[in-house]
Amino acid sequence: MSPIALIALIIGVPAVLLLAYVLITGSSGLRRYILTRVALTLPMVFILGTLVFFILRILPGDPVSSALGPKGTPEMIAHIRTQLGLNDPLIVQYGRFLKNMVTLKFGNSLVGGHRPIIDEMSERFPATLELIIPASILALVIGIFGGTLAASKRKKPTDYGFRIFAVFIYSLPVFWFGLILQLLFGVKLGWLPISGRIDPIIGTTLKTYTNIYSIDALITGNWPAFWSVVQHLILPVVTLGLIQSGLFIRMTRANVIETLQADFIGAARARGIREHVLIYKHALKNAMIPVITLIGLQVAILLAGAVLTETVFSLPGMGSYLVERISARDYNAVQSVITVFAMLVAVISLAVDIIYSLVDPRVRY
Amino acid sequence: MSDDILYSVHNLSVDYKTRGGAVRAVDNVSLDIRRGEILGLVGESGCGKSTFGKALLRLHDGPASIPEGELWFDGRDLMKLSINEMPAIRGAELGMVFQDPMTSLNPVQSIMEHLTETIQAHEPKVSNAAARARAEELVERLGIRHERLKEYPHQMSGGMRQRVMISLALALRAKLVIADEPTTSLDVIVEAKFLDLLKELREEFGLTILLITHNIGVVAEICDRVAVMYAAKMVEVGTAEEVFAQPKHPYTQGLLKSVPNINMGEGELYKMGGEPPSLLHPPTGCRFHPRCPAAMEICSRIEPTFESVAGDHMAACWLYQKQTDSQASTRKKANLG
Amino acid sequence: MDNLKEQLPNTPPEGTTWEVELKKVGFVRRLLMGRHWYGADWWFVVISSIAVLAFIIVAIAPGLFAPYSPDALVGPRFLAPGAYAELSVLVVPQDSKVNQLEDLAVPEGADRPQIAVVQDVPTSGDLNTQAQAIDQELKNQPAGLRLRPIIDRYASLDEALQAVVEGKDIAAVIQTTEYKNSHAQFPTLREAASLTGEKVAGGFILGTNDIGQDIFSRMLWGTRIALIIGFSSSLLSLFLGVPLGLLAGFMGGAFDRLLSLVMDSLYAFPGLILAIAITAVLGPSMLNIIIAIAVLYIPTYYRIVRGQTLTVKEEVYIEAARSIGARRWDILWRYIFPNVIPSVAIIFSVNVADAILTGAGLSFLGLGLPPTMADWGIDLARGQRFIQSAWWMITFPGLAILLVVLSFTLMGEGLTEIFNPKLRDR
Repeated sequence: MSPIALIALIIGVPAVLLLAYVLITGSSGLRRYILTRVALTLPMVFILGTLVFFILRILPGDPVSSALGPKGTPEMIAHIRTQLGLNDPLIVQYGRFLKNMVTLKFGNSLVGGHRPIIDEMSERFPATLELIIPASILALVIGIFGGTLAASKRKKPTDYGFRIFAVFIYSLPVFWFGLILQLLFGVKLGWLPISGRIDPIIGTTLKTYTNIYSIDALITGNWPAFWSVVQHLILPVVTLGLIQSGLFIRMTRANVIETLQADFIGAARARGIREHVLIYKHALKNAMIPVITLIGLQVAILLAGAVLTETVFSLPGMGSYLVERISARDYNAVQSVITVFAMLVAVISLAVDIIYSLVDPRVRY
Repeated sequence: MSDDILYSVHNLSVDYKTRGGAVRAVDNVSLDIRRGEILGLVGESGCGKSTFGKALLRLHDGPASIPEGELWFDGRDLMKLSINEMPAIRGAELGMVFQDPMTSLNPVQSIMEHLTETIQAHEPKVSNAAARARAEELVERLGIRHERLKEYPHQMSGGMRQRVMISLALALRAKLVIADEPTTSLDVIVEAKFLDLLKELREEFGLTILLITHNIGVVAEICDRVAVMYAAKMVEVGTAEEVFAQPKHPYTQGLLKSVPNINMGEGELYKMGGEPPSLLHPPTGCRFHPRCPAAMEICSRIEPTFESVAGDHMAACWLYQKQTDSQASTRKKANLG
Repeated sequence: MDNLKEQLPNTPPEGTTWEVELKKVGFVRRLLMGRHWYGADWWFVVISSIAVLAFIIVAIAPGLFAPYSPDALVGPRFLAPGAYAELSVLVVPQDSKVNQLEDLAVPEGADRPQIAVVQDVPTSGDLNTQAQAIDQELKNQPAGLRLRPIIDRYASLDEALQAVVEGKDIAAVIQTTEYKNSHAQFPTLREAASLTGEKVAGGFILGTNDIGQDIFSRMLWGTRIALIIGFSSSLLSLFLGVPLGLLAGFMGGAFDRLLSLVMDSLYAFPGLILAIAITAVLGPSMLNIIIAIAVLYIPTYYRIVRGQTLTVKEEVYIEAARSIGARRWDILWRYIFPNVIPSVAIIFSVNVADAILTGAGLSFLGLGLPPTMADWGIDLARGQRFIQSAWWMITFPGLAILLVVLSFTLMGEGLTEIFNPKLRDR
């Protein structure tokens, strides 16, 4: 079974079950909200896909002649264009594009072995997942903890320290940060590897099911492989995660500060509830809610960061795939990757909104 | 200090740091609260009454501070305690009910959680089940069915929420409850019910209540004694009968005259001239003098002291001062007890 | 409690006028009083503004600050910062006409040139090899010149150099590093070229890259490209996004809904990836990068401006203005526009920061500018290949990006706190 299908099952089945449970046991208000959100996601994906389609078609630049290069004679170009349906009217092409998008038929790569793009993508996708999930978790942990700490010590050195850190991190180019980490920990200190997902020799011992190496290593009990994967992951995850945390720190801090000024905090204080309980329980719970929606927005930035991080650390993920395919002028692949990214963003946004509605009781009723 | 006085405030001042400088929101105010009474504290918005109320629990926002004063509650001066010892007293012995019950409750916490948290914060040994039982019993007395405890604040009506606030203040049998504008956000009928409830609670629990409000009508209805504040200063204190029948301070007089009354004819609405002064640069001498119809020459120069006019009826006004000019210029901090 | 915080005196006995002005205080006043009021945020804005100004100056005239042209091959490759290549160099008197070894060639039969070297140091071997090689070439030329120097060996460096000063030797050949140590004592001497004809160079503050260009100069010249991309794309976004936002907010209806749907979708999309897609199609050039990045930020301006327009539109005084018969354009200009400017200023500074980051990212990936330009992203990509040997190639261009972006971001941060502490949108 292809790795993508496996991953989709692992994540998808529990998600669908959870969704069904929520829909059945939730109130009518909640049900309405979720169904509306789901319904709104579809247009968004279509709009994005359409945008991608038009950008790649209408803007100047002919993919085929670029792909063939100087070797392409006008006849060859024309022939291939017809074959790919590029000479049909735009509407027809668009229709075909929509149909393909719905059925997830991405076509074949224009260059190289002309492999089906979906195969290539399902090989690369797990590597990206293995990078962005730990990175997001790291970013959230640092962000929430740091933001709350900064808010609790407002206007004192700790607060300014965290704010400066957050601004600094935000201004840091993610690819440069990765390079510096490589330099420091890989080259100068020699503690960690600087490229690849796993040591090549150990890698041959790993049987892959999901293509997420860490999980595969765990499943098969292959400890050397697991350890090697972890080692290879440390630098990229820290790079991406730390950069992401900047925004979370700022947002959490701002939210907690604002929440702390709310009346109910004062009322609770009048009842004798202690400061640290006020901050870490009451304020944080309330402040977290907007941060959840922020996670949805962050996905976009996360994916962009992933593209750069994968390039710096030579990780064979979707991001580096995109860059490779562009240099190779493989427009089919480029279009497919971007469409997949769009869908990913939309789905995650949807999931975030649903989680939000579950967490904030005000939305429920 | 005699036994029937529950809370005796001596010379309390509260400062606020603002961009323009320090503002003294409460200026050298002294007040006694007697056991078992309902004491009304009235004044215009911005006169400092809310700040005063909060200061009684030593509750203040960042820019505020208490530079001087003694807070003798039940035999000890709260000002002498470290700020970390205050949470134990707040909620347990001193309670507060706020103006807007909607924003005073945590929107993501159920009512039950509010109550059990308060109980367990002060008595950590109480189990969850026991705390829940106590909460249920408590709210029954206040007219809330205990099925409603698992609801969230936004699902309740205003009057119900205000009852929740009281039950929170009473959860640990507080001796003194400070109610800061508790009925301002309620409609008239709910307000009436609420005031009745307060009276019942006073009977049943032996509660002492400091009722802070700008609404004279409310004060007239349930208060035993009345204190009037103006521009961060206390200007008059007395029993309700004394103050309503024979208001001494010109401000109180004006305040009472401004209350519309159904028997009035057209065009009879009295409006006090002028506006409340800036606390950044208050008027010299008596702060009310720019608006006072009875202002004398001395009023603009020297501040009158707060002293007895007739028995326990006190006021700060040159109309009643017995001192001479020179005596008054020596500002003594009077000990009122 | 809030009404106590900023009260206007109504009957100020000796009221000072500046308090009355407090609420009406303008931007300049706020700025000056800011140090007292806003604390650290004021410093953020001031420091970052100075930094931004400095960068702009460097960007306008990099030639004034950069010691070399960015494309010039000024020295040996892979030279560490401040280091000198271990070369054998020719040292001659200041007024000597000799600039390279070849210059010492003399016609057959004339006095052979005497060159000083230090004993037991490999330079003499280098000298011999070089001289012989040159000599061979000269033999084949009609001019009849030969290079067969007489090598005088001295016990120490100082003696060898002294010999040149005194004229006993016409030149000396020594190691660069040793010469650096002693040359202060011999002010009448200078370095000519190295034995192999390379310009003697060293002491580049930040080192040289893989083909011998000065990294420091490239850093300074890179500022120009970064700021051009940053400002141009941001201005473009602004001039497209703000009017659209104003229109959509003001007009409402289907136009607003449709445009907002498109903008929201665009906004949610990973910026870099969209920029990659656009440049992929348009091709690598500075203009195309600017366009690609500009497209990314239009939704940000659009949303904020539209939001503010909607808020202001609903305020009562607009209705009042309309009831007096003010024209729609006037309403737009006079009421909505001024409220919108502070937010736009904040977004702009953050926008420039982000645009520079995205631009650098694009060129790092090789998708942006033509690789011959002196751009920080390109330099970083080059440096990555040599990370094991030349750490300075990646450190400094990246540092430059960080500093510039940090300045703009700090400015945006500080301005946010000052203009509107509640404003949290990017």
